[in-house]
Amino acid sequence: MSNKRKRVDFIYQAITYIASSISVIVLSMIFIYVFSNGSGLLNWGLVVNDYHAQFYNGGIDPVTEFSTTDRPASLGDESYYSERWGVAFSEDIDREGKTIIVVDYVAPDSPLHDMFDKNNDVNEDFAIIRGNVVESIKFYDKNSALAVQGAEHMINELDTENEFREIVFSSLGGGIRGSIVTTLYVIGMTLVFALPIGIFTAIYLNEFAKVNRVTNTLRSMIEVLTGVPSIIFGLMGLAVFVPLTVRYTSADSANLVSGSLTLAVILLPVVIRATEESLKVVPDDFRFASLALGANKTQTTFKVVLPSALPGILTATLLAIGRIIGESAALIFAIGTAVKDDISIFGKSTTLAVHIWSLMTDEPANIELASTIAIIILIIVLILNITVKLISRRFTKRFQ
Amino acid sequence: MKNNVFNIKNLDLFYGSFQALKDINLTIEKNKVTALIGPSGCGKSTFLRCLNRMNDLIDICKIDGEVEYHGDNVYEKGHDVINLRTKVGMVFQKPNPFPMTIYDNVAYGPRCQGLKDKSKLDEIVETSLKNAALWEEVKDRLKDSAMGLSGGQQQRLCIARAIAMEPEVILMDEPTSALDPIATLKIEELINDLKENYTIVIVTHSMQQAARISDYTAFFLMGDLIEFDQTDKIFTQPKFKQTEDYITGRFG
Amino acid sequence: MEYIKNLKDKLKDAFHFNSKKERTDAVVRGFFLLATVLSASFIIVIVFFIALEGMIPFVTDNDGLGRVDLVRFLTGTTWLEGTAFQSNLYAVGFIIVNTLYIAFLSLLLSMPIGVLTALFIAKIAPKRIAEVLRTVVELLAAIPSIVYGLFGSGLIIVFVYNFAKLFGVQSKGGNSVLATVLVLSLMILPTITALSEVAIRSVGKDIEHGSLALGATRTQTNFKVVLTSAKSGIFTAAILGVGRALGEATAVSLVAGNARSGPSLGFFQTTSTLTSTMLQGLKETIGIDYDIRFSVGIVLMIVILITNMTLNFIKRKVGNVDVK
Repeated sequence: MSNKRKRVDFIYQAITYIASSISVIVLSMIFIYVFSNGSGLLNWGLVVNDYHAQFYNGGIDPVTEFSTTDRPASLGDESYYSERWGVAFSEDIDREGKTIIVVDYVAPDSPLHDMFDKNNDVNEDFAIIRGNVVESIKFYDKNSALAVQGAEHMINELDTENEFREIVFSSLGGGIRGSIVTTLYVIGMTLVFALPIGIFTAIYLNEFAKVNRVTNTLRSMIEVLTGVPSIIFGLMGLAVFVPLTVRYTSADSANLVSGSLTLAVILLPVVIRATEESLKVVPDDFRFASLALGANKTQTTFKVVLPSALPGILTATLLAIGRIIGESAALIFAIGTAVKDDISIFGKSTTLAVHIWSLMTDEPANIELASTIAIIILIIVLILNITVKLISRRFTKRFQ
Repeated sequence: MKNNVFNIKNLDLFYGSFQALKDINLTIEKNKVTALIGPSGCGKSTFLRCLNRMNDLIDICKIDGEVEYHGDNVYEKGHDVINLRTKVGMVFQKPNPFPMTIYDNVAYGPRCQGLKDKSKLDEIVETSLKNAALWEEVKDRLKDSAMGLSGGQQQRLCIARAIAMEPEVILMDEPTSALDPIATLKIEELINDLKENYTIVIVTHSMQQAARISDYTAFFLMGDLIEFDQTDKIFTQPKFKQTEDYITGRFG
Repeated sequence: MEYIKNLKDKLKDAFHFNSKKERTDAVVRGFFLLATVLSASFIIVIVFFIALEGMIPFVTDNDGLGRVDLVRFLTGTTWLEGTAFQSNLYAVGFIIVNTLYIAFLSLLLSMPIGVLTALFIAKIAPKRIAEVLRTVVELLAAIPSIVYGLFGSGLIIVFVYNFAKLFGVQSKGGNSVLATVLVLSLMILPTITALSEVAIRSVGKDIEHGSLALGATRTQTNFKVVLTSAKSGIFTAAILGVGRALGEATAVSLVAGNARSGPSLGFFQTTSTLTSTMLQGLKETIGIDYDIRFSVGIVLMIVILITNMTLNFIKRKVGNVDVK
């Protein structure tokens, strides 16, 4: 073989190696980027907190009995404790990067338990609790202590006083509990809509339908859905499902139900194809054996064919969940982009993916929180994919 | 000795733990047609593929012994396989033209060698197709896809493709088994013509074919070379009982 | 009368069952058929309702603004002349050009990479590496588009911005044709790779051996024979890739820059696609500004349909040397 040929071969070979490495590089870059930006915010609080902070103004009547609790040993060095008021503050950075003061501890005998809500006369639930963010403490006879002045200053100011005008505090916002709950609701409802219709369709096409023009037409009509971009499904949801739900339910705009219905349509071809594929693997011998025993087609389908196809249906379900979690374009139209904390299935809300879109289209974009949500989505999608792989690997062996 | 192209000495071949060829000794003479016959699975195709090292493509295949091509053992370390295959062409059982034009199919080999000169390529294509007795049928549609040819034409194209490399030896692995009788006849005539310039080793299922076209015949059975001699001798007075059983059709 | 009697008999036959089991079968079958018809009907629902809404700007006077001129809409070079809600001068001509331009540039970029990766996985790489790469490609395909959008608007536009500065071009924070093309080509890369790999793997061993027996090297065989034989399947991959590129919405809207006029052909210019236009300013819109999004939706569907048909036509022309 001539040297020139060897050289040319080597160049071609090198090009293939380089091209192949691009996929790996891109995947690692996406993961590195998302994790480096988002991991800072990733904690349990994010998952359980509301997105919108609730602000409270707490007033207090003249105090007769102050706290007698000593500084608890569990408090770290960064916490500042007021023995008189039985409360500890520390500094933290919020999701926009500002310094905030967080309540670390409230003693059981703290007079702060006697605070009342200055905005609502009757508010039984009103209390300042661990995790709340203190904006400021306003006094009667001197300057207010503000969050920007630091936790130490605030505690010192408070500790020397026997009374104050009000404490302005808030629940810690920026959480994604609402979007997580929405996502779960949407997953549940979408599956409820899509699975039965999809599975029944697959059964019909594979078990009952004769091979003729009509069947082929039905099949290709379903097939076409795969090629429709999701934004078009979104428009359909907006034009069909939103008005439908507004008309027949308490909804007054895009809502979780209209979003789930839209997703269900998107997922139909996925469910149908996966189910059909798993039905096809079931050997005809099984069917004949059952029919020969006097079972009818229905019994054969439900008792013999369908159980064998279950892993396939499970795979379809997992794939569907992955798609639901990742879907954004269709849901922007069909659920809306308003981030909510109180979730009702007839109200507006965002799934995690749409939440990212909302954060990215805000001015300025909140890349950190968006990345954190992206981490959650990526991890879920990763787990789903691996599970699907494991299931299908086990399952393909079964009939061989 | 001078007239021997291949000299095979003590060749053993294993697929994993299965021994497919057992201690084969054989010589292939220049400008003769050597036919390899035997029942399915006897190792004749495997043997053929040793001659241009196509068995290398099977991972679990292991070879002992020597296959000397003009005195050089082709299984020696560092032997240029690519070069060997340009000298020893091959035609397969099923016609396997590339999904390209007829012209590109024939020009493929020379181009792979780095030949770019258009007029030279034209010349090679024409002579090769003529030598393969296909020129008259395709000269007006050289730019058409080779997939549009009939099975027999495709097989002759594959022969033309092999000839284009100007090889010394052409290996044929049951080249007519996928063809109808008329196409088969054409290929057989072609082989007769080709023998003037090329050394041909052909694996065949059909004993009549071996008798019709070959000068030498080797009979394989279960990985053993039972008998190797001039074709008329094998067919008229075989030395071994197994050979006689096989050629008289008394074989399972 | 005879005819009706016949029909009656037929109906009777159809509803006569020999046993309870047969009746259940018929009922279940009907029920499943219903599900199937429902599934199949959605494509009609989609086309019908989007057409219905999308026609409104062209056939009504849009609350006094007057009809939108269809020809102007399809050929114009500015999305909206005048103020929103006070003008009916919408146009998507330049956006159609942008959309096709971006989709094909993306294909141009990811096609060679995808096909070579597929070739590597299917023919060149050792088994274990091939398995790893296949998983990588599957994961890339599984990453939701919004995450690509985040990646694009966080990293790629920064890269493009700095890249543009090298050429002395001040891009709008990196939102540009180039950024959009990069993001889209990353997104269609796994689609193209996976489908090409299937096509390459289905090339028969006999064709490969034919080439090797002619003294071609492995590499020559891979590039000259295997890729040629897989041409038809690779073309299908390209068609699906373009389809995905044309329809992708959220990721594009985060990096395109939403140009209001165009077409934008320069790499560092901001741009807009049919999908990004549909998403733009969606939060606060009613009336014509809302309805017109459906019109854009119709245009998008037609663009995808025509592109698909054209590419399939080319495929038939080019790929007449078909793989069996």
